[in-house]
Amino acid sequence: MRAFSYARPETPAAAIEAFVAAGSGARYIAGGTTLYDLMKLRVEQPTHLIDVTAIRGLDEIATDGDMLRFGALAPMSAVAADRTLQRDYPVLVEALSKAASQQLRNMATVGGNLLQRTRCLYFRNGAGSASTANVYPCNKREPGAGCAAQDGIDRGQAVLGQSAACNAVSPGDWPVALVAMDAQLELLGPEGARTIPVAELYRPPGDTPHLEFTLQPAEIVTGIAVPATRAGRHSTYHKIRDRESYAFALASAAVALELDGDIVRRAHVALGGVATQPWRAAAAEQALLGQRVTPDIANAAGRAALQGARAGHHNGFKIELGARTVADAILIAAARNPA
Amino acid sequence: MSVEPFPDRPRVDAHEKVRGAAIYAADVALPGLLHAMLVPATIAKGRVTAVPVEAALQVPGVVRVLTATDFPPPVQPAGAGGPPPPPPMITPEIAYRGQPFAIVLAETLEAAIEGAEAIRPDYAPDLAFTPLIDSPGHRREPVEPITAGDAADAMTRAVTRHSAEYVSPAQHHNPIEMLSTTAFWADGVLTVHEGTQSTSGTKGAVGRNLRLEPDQLVVKSPQIGGGFGQKGTPQRQSAIVAHAAMLTGRPVKLVLPRGQIFHNASFRPRSRHRIEIGADATGKMIAVRYDADHQQSRSGQFPPAEYLEAAPQMYGFTDYHGTAANVRIDTQSPGYMRAPHPHPSCFAFESAVDELALMLEQDPVAFRLRHEATIDPIHNRPHSSNHLHSCLREGARRFGWDRRTAAPGSMTLPDGTLVGWGVASGAYPVHIHPNIATLTVRADGTTRFAAAAHEMGQGIRSTIEQVLVRELDIDPTRLELAIGDTSAAAQHTTAGSWGTGSVVPAALEAASRMKAALAELLGDRQVGGNLHRQLARVKRPSLSVEVTRIPYGQGQKELATFQQGGMALAGPFFPAFTTFSFIAHFVEVHVEPRTRRVRVPRVVSVADCGRVVSPRTAASQVRGGVTWAISAALREVTEVDPRYGGWLNNDLADYVVAVNADIGEIDVSFIDEPDPVVNALGVKGLGEVAMVGCAAAVANGIHHATGRRLREMPFRIETLL
Ligand SMILES: Cc1cc2nc3c(=O)[nH]c(=O)nc-3n(C[C@H](O)[C@H](O)[C@H](O)COP(=O)(O)OP(=O)(O)OC[C@H]3O[C@@H](n4cnc5c(N)ncnc54)[C@H](O)[C@@H]3O)c2cc1C
Repeated sequence: MRAFSYARPETPAAAIEAFVAAGSGARYIAGGTTLYDLMKLRVEQPTHLIDVTAIRGLDEIATDGDMLRFGALAPMSAVAADRTLQRDYPVLVEALSKAASQQLRNMATVGGNLLQRTRCLYFRNGAGSASTANVYPCNKREPGAGCAAQDGIDRGQAVLGQSAACNAVSPGDWPVALVAMDAQLELLGPEGARTIPVAELYRPPGDTPHLEFTLQPAEIVTGIAVPATRAGRHSTYHKIRDRESYAFALASAAVALELDGDIVRRAHVALGGVATQPWRAAAAEQALLGQRVTPDIANAAGRAALQGARAGHHNGFKIELGARTVADAILIAAARNPA
Repeated sequence: MSVEPFPDRPRVDAHEKVRGAAIYAADVALPGLLHAMLVPATIAKGRVTAVPVEAALQVPGVVRVLTATDFPPPVQPAGAGGPPPPPPMITPEIAYRGQPFAIVLAETLEAAIEGAEAIRPDYAPDLAFTPLIDSPGHRREPVEPITAGDAADAMTRAVTRHSAEYVSPAQHHNPIEMLSTTAFWADGVLTVHEGTQSTSGTKGAVGRNLRLEPDQLVVKSPQIGGGFGQKGTPQRQSAIVAHAAMLTGRPVKLVLPRGQIFHNASFRPRSRHRIEIGADATGKMIAVRYDADHQQSRSGQFPPAEYLEAAPQMYGFTDYHGTAANVRIDTQSPGYMRAPHPHPSCFAFESAVDELALMLEQDPVAFRLRHEATIDPIHNRPHSSNHLHSCLREGARRFGWDRRTAAPGSMTLPDGTLVGWGVASGAYPVHIHPNIATLTVRADGTTRFAAAAHEMGQGIRSTIEQVLVRELDIDPTRLELAIGDTSAAAQHTTAGSWGTGSVVPAALEAASRMKAALAELLGDRQVGGNLHRQLARVKRPSLSVEVTRIPYGQGQKELATFQQGGMALAGPFFPAFTTFSFIAHFVEVHVEPRTRRVRVPRVVSVADCGRVVSPRTAASQVRGGVTWAISAALREVTEVDPRYGGWLNNDLADYVVAVNADIGEIDVSFIDEPDPVVNALGVKGLGEVAMVGCAAAVANGIHHATGRRLREMPFRIETLL
């Protein structure tokens, strides 16, 4: 048996204390939909689980002020069902409702979602699938082991942000929408509280692909804050995948447009499914500024979004698909809620 | 004989299944059960040189570890013409990654898993393994060609020719019920519970491997949670588990995790189809050359020649030359997966026909209707029935085909979505197997019918009930159908759509014998009530009849083979006629203008399967077949990284099967004409043909929408960008 302890503290302070006491084998657990899966795959082998779901007050959803606030423990399904968001921020709702399945979204939390790990086949084929145990080297699983994906079946791998050590895609949908919308992450740790942009949670793979997040040891995610913006009314999360439900993105785009008549005053564009981290596409945003949205402009912005992309062996299509997904998303967003 | 159309009736096991009350093989609860886990090799080829078991034995709860030396030596192949050897048990030679080299037995499942993970063997890997059909080291082995007339000569007379290669990928069945075996040895008899479409096959394989006599073995497969051919041939783990149960004297249960199923179960091999069709000046197809090959293991038996069978039966080609080959590489053995040969071959052939029709500027439905097969040109015999053209006509009517405009890309939606309408046909051979059935009606209100058949969810219980209840006034709620049990009746492999046609004629005959037996019992007494009441009135506890059905063209020899546990299939090439089931599929595809996503909002399928016995489960079979064809055409492929061998996407998250959101409306109908001769009810067979040709209809629809011809499945998003 791989023994691990399990604690269920009722306050953030108690959770942090338990984490610090437990040391490096500790993990927080919320909905468990990522962590238990990775434990079964033997990718994660924690010795102490600290369940944060008994902490009260961390699941609140507030969508009426200048900042939209989501407690870290709010279930994905609950946030996706919020009426205000459905009306004013389709980009946020769609990023949640197009992820996973209803059953998973009922369990999974919006905080845990930000910390899910890559779906790279070579990463996930750890020791948990006995027929493939220790067969595929992976720098993320075992630093310095090498990367089987680089010269392997890399159809699903990233075309943006990859390093020689790792080309695994950052899988989440929700983080892409949050990064597009300039969301902030509220953290609490042994040193106190701090707030960082969600975009800064993610580390590029570089030489250390096993280090994915900028969280400090024992830091707990308490909430997510999104600045209110009328761009939400003209927004979408467009997700292209290998089947029409229950699959991760091959390419996705979060787009929100602040329109003045039909002229773009401000654009939010981020990409998913194609990059090693949620990918803000500043060049695409630039290409839209001051423009009237037409198919040509959308296509040009889509191409700009994929600037600098590099293809591997089987994933070159993602560059084209990514550009077209962004273009489609711009057209869908612009057509929402006509004045 | 009674061949009136059958009414719609609910599925007999619907309530049981919806409530989760249906019992599957791995659900059986046995006292003192040991849990087992296999230990798979992580090399692609070579030898296991040492298996240290100490670490596993130290895991609390682990009882025993069995390795190659604990097993009897493999059964040697019989000479030419003999049966193939059963799957080997545990050997030190490793033929493919994932092959088991040990089994751990423990008091709990968790301990068995942990014990299995603790075993680190020494290997002598053979690094020169052959992972793919075009990798160095593959061996191409042609088989006997199939020929009619002189295709080479006829091809010289062709005015228009089309030739191309089509590819169907490796795919794995993923029924929700995992492979499992539970075995126990008591009083000199080994009982095996297993989800199998072939209790007789399991019995034979276990018996031969363990050198047991037939009366020492009982195999039970009460209900199967999806078979699709994966559970039709002997499974590798059966004898391993049975042997463990005999050695320990305790019941042993093994449920294979899905990753191990991917690596050990049979699968649909990658196959390539090179097709050349020639048409004369009038636009008629006059010559066909077809060369097929497929991925094969070093010792596998799954035959390649059957790819060549369907096309001549659909079109009646008199000049046809078909060649086929195995391409042997280092993999586990491929095998039967729904519509095993006709799905890939009709994808290929029906795509080729579409291409030729376009070259000839003919409507693809009209072009097909110009070619009617009335005889089997390979054997020069009549078809016992062939309503393919009625399927095409009726399908075209239901679909609204006459509103189609011919030019690719000519049909669009206002948002620029491209619309494509594709058609394709399919054919599947009809087989019939002998059956020995007993029917007992009792005064206490119960009835028992025992025969050769297995319920994989296709609805065979519903078809048997349908016939018995129509023929006899019995209480359907207390009807026991004893099938999938070698202790209840001699069993066969229920597959290839021969299940219903091989059992319902026996049920029909048993019913008429029962009526006769009852009439004889009653003499001239007038007794009212249903059969149970009548028996009670005359104080007769029960009445039994037994029937033996031997298919047309067979005799005592085949019956004896069946009684001894072997297979004795008749058809599709019977002595005086040939019998195939047919289907036509019409598919609408939508291709999104920018991202080129393909959707399939609508399918119309019309099948000629002879008499439909259970309308409800029959329609459901066709919906399932069409769903799978869409999934196979657009989604499913099992990937091999050639540097490592084995299967990369070996779980349900990464082996992409269609979901509800991928499937639109499926309109199913039947010709429902009984075949006049193939059996007493005119039943041909449906479960397999349901899928055949539909993938080509998708491909043809995509071509109509986009002008792009896709010849290699699956058509994932990148193929159309
Ligand atoms: C079959 C399947 C399909 C899926 N499909 C999609 C998809 O299409 N798109 C998509 O975006 N996602 C998908 N997911 C991922 C899913 O959205 C995530 O698993 C889920 O959001 C994680 O949330 P959780 O609460 O269950 O996290 P957990 O599993 O509990 O935790 C995940 C990680 O976050 C850490 N953690 C959790 N909460 C906190 C906290 N408050 N503070 C600090 N650390 C914390 C844990 O230590 C752990 O490392 C899928 C998952 C599965 C299993």
